[in-house]
Amino acid sequence: MSALPAALPASVASRLLRAADLPRRGASLKPGDRLPTGVAPFDALLGGGLPRGALVELSGRSGGRFALVLAALAAATSRGEAAALLDLGDHLDPAAAEEAGCDLARLLWARPLRFRDALLAAETVAAAGFRLVVLDAGLALPSSRLRDAGPWLRLARAAAPRGVAFLLSTPVPLAGLAAEALVGVSARALFQQAGAARFLAGAATSLSLLKVRGGRPAEAPLLALSPLAAPLARRLLPDLRPPAASASSPAALTPPRRAVACA
Amino acid sequence: MAPPRLLALAVPLFPLAARLRAEPELRDEALAVTEGNGSAARVVAATRQARAAGVKPGMTLPQARALVPRLLARGRDPHAEHAAEEALLDAAGRFSPRVEDAGDGLAFLDLAGLAPRSASDLLAFERDLALDLLRAAEKDGLPARAGIASSKRAARIAASLPRSPVVVPPGEEARFLAPLPVERLAPELGLAVALSRWGVRTAGDLARLPAAEVGTRLGDPGRRLHEAARGLDPEPFVPRLPALAFTEGASLDWPVVALEPFLAFAAAALERLVRRLAAEALGCARLELSLHLEPEGCDVRSIDLPGPTRDTKTLLSLLRQSLDARPAGAPVTGFVLSAHPDRPRRGQLTLFGPPEISPDELAGTLARLLALLGEGRAGSPRPADGHVPGRFALVPYAPPPAPLLTPPLRPARGLLAVRALRPAVELEVLTHADTPVSLNALPASPTPVRGRVRVAAGPWSLEDGWWSEAPAARDYWDVELEGGGLYRVFRDRPTGKWYADGVYD
Repeated sequence: MSALPAALPASVASRLLRAADLPRRGASLKPGDRLPTGVAPFDALLGGGLPRGALVELSGRSGGRFALVLAALAAATSRGEAAALLDLGDHLDPAAAEEAGCDLARLLWARPLRFRDALLAAETVAAAGFRLVVLDAGLALPSSRLRDAGPWLRLARAAAPRGVAFLLSTPVPLAGLAAEALVGVSARALFQQAGAARFLAGAATSLSLLKVRGGRPAEAPLLALSPLAAPLARRLLPDLRPPAASASSPAALTPPRRAVACA
Repeated sequence: MAPPRLLALAVPLFPLAARLRAEPELRDEALAVTEGNGSAARVVAATRQARAAGVKPGMTLPQARALVPRLLARGRDPHAEHAAEEALLDAAGRFSPRVEDAGDGLAFLDLAGLAPRSASDLLAFERDLALDLLRAAEKDGLPARAGIASSKRAARIAASLPRSPVVVPPGEEARFLAPLPVERLAPELGLAVALSRWGVRTAGDLARLPAAEVGTRLGDPGRRLHEAARGLDPEPFVPRLPALAFTEGASLDWPVVALEPFLAFAAAALERLVRRLAAEALGCARLELSLHLEPEGCDVRSIDLPGPTRDTKTLLSLLRQSLDARPAGAPVTGFVLSAHPDRPRRGQLTLFGPPEISPDELAGTLARLLALLGEGRAGSPRPADGHVPGRFALVPYAPPPAPLLTPPLRPARGLLAVRALRPAVELEVLTHADTPVSLNALPASPTPVRGRVRVAAGPWSLEDGWWSEAPAARDYWDVELEGGGLYRVFRDRPTGKWYADGVYD
């Protein structure tokens, strides 16, 4: 038995455990297992990514939320995990999602018409064992009844036993006590002048950890997002490279120096 | 060559058993199943309570009601009998691959090859098998009797005896039949009268007569009856082909107009259907509902499921949804539910890759989503051909197998996403030098897009599908409003109208 790890490729051998390790591993996985989204500032705020078996709320009205939603979906699906997006506003553009790195074959896209249906659908997919479930509430402000923590506690409870990473994206905070962490998002548009033409160069997005269970609020470095996921811009400006192209990680990015917020 | 071994599985009082299977709440009532209309209706079968009070098959309904004033009467239900027959064959099919459908609650099983080679006591094995089969039929709501012999006729007669199961040892059919009344051989009326005149009372009496003399006097029917009395049966075993669909249904005693009472009947039928599918380790891939309408009409509808499922609640929700969307339009007098079966998909678990959802569970989940959200509201998204942003196609969700090893995480691409607005929001736009300076969504719009423009970048032209019936010729702008919000707006060149079709987010 001891010769087995030596005979295996290193990537496989490093994952082998002895029976004695299993209980410890199981115990350590439950609180510690996280789904990194690949957006370094966001992952750093959450201690390594979206916690499995818990609900994280992403809230903000001025932009940047959907980009993080797509990044989380891309991270899960590109690693071979099944993910579900409950898209209450019917906002997903599959071309943009593909551009962001989503493996669309692993993405279940549900388009509920009512918030109640979205909650039921979220509970259904969480119980089925989807590794990442995202409920995007769209742009409209939800009714005040949804500020009650009841349905969210129920969803968080549905996510826990199957180790589902649950991401709730809403214009205003809703989940209250049910959320493991609440991340505020805001963005500022950056336009760039190129000769006589002016074009959208991206958005400077700020992330702040407003609340986390057992932790303190925190701020993340500014995150620059490029608009080139938009199929239109990608096709019309083939020579334009996004600011992210030169950097290995979006965390390292700062807004372009020449970026202006023109009137 | 060893003689064949056949098992006859018979449901006594089959029309009654089929009715009680569909309406189990009537089991403890005095109930008679009748055939015919009005006062000419005759009792075909009756429950123990009714029989104890003297109700017998052949009586007219008024005669039976004279004996039991509170007697419940139900007509024969062809749908329920067909479903019960199928359930009987399904139960039989779980024990032998070769089953014959003899109709009216009778099935034959070929037991060839089922006994283990080492079975020292074949008869004990066959008896145990028959007992298991009877239990399986009982579970499907069919109280049955079983008889095993080397010929169909002997097996059927053995199954008609009250102490079930009866196993006739191979080659002893004649000895088994000998003490039984000759009526058990079901002779034609003329033959029965002739045999009675001759003083032939039992099958053994008949078997002892010279075959040639019987043939000369009673003709071909008499010769065949003589053969039957000697345990010979030339009738071949005809196995049925496996069913392509599982059906359950019922004729309703009174026409149903409202949805809820109908769904109560449908739920019971679905439960029976799902039980039968589960016994075969199958799931329902397509559900068909055929409604019989008053006075004469039919409404057939089909529901395709994303994957084979056996979730009764989900199937019922889909039925409700279908009937809500398109009501039958006339009172319903009967219905048939057909489940087209499929094998549930099997998943392969990986040791080092990400966990995969069980295909069976996934199929159930997708069916529940279909029931909850409606047709075309859940699936796997795909970009549509063409250059117009936001277009999409939805295909059934069938994820590929999980990778054997979890791939390493790649950094996110850091792209600003666009929320598509569906449908595009029509705008009232003020322009200065062909550049938008103010946007205002028309009042009917669900998305409030309103305000003075802070920055506008554009225009970029887009032309798509000029060869089609719906070409797109647009000038796009990226517009930031003073009050917040970064929109993708366009002017439709043919009409000159402005729309917002996306929000940068």
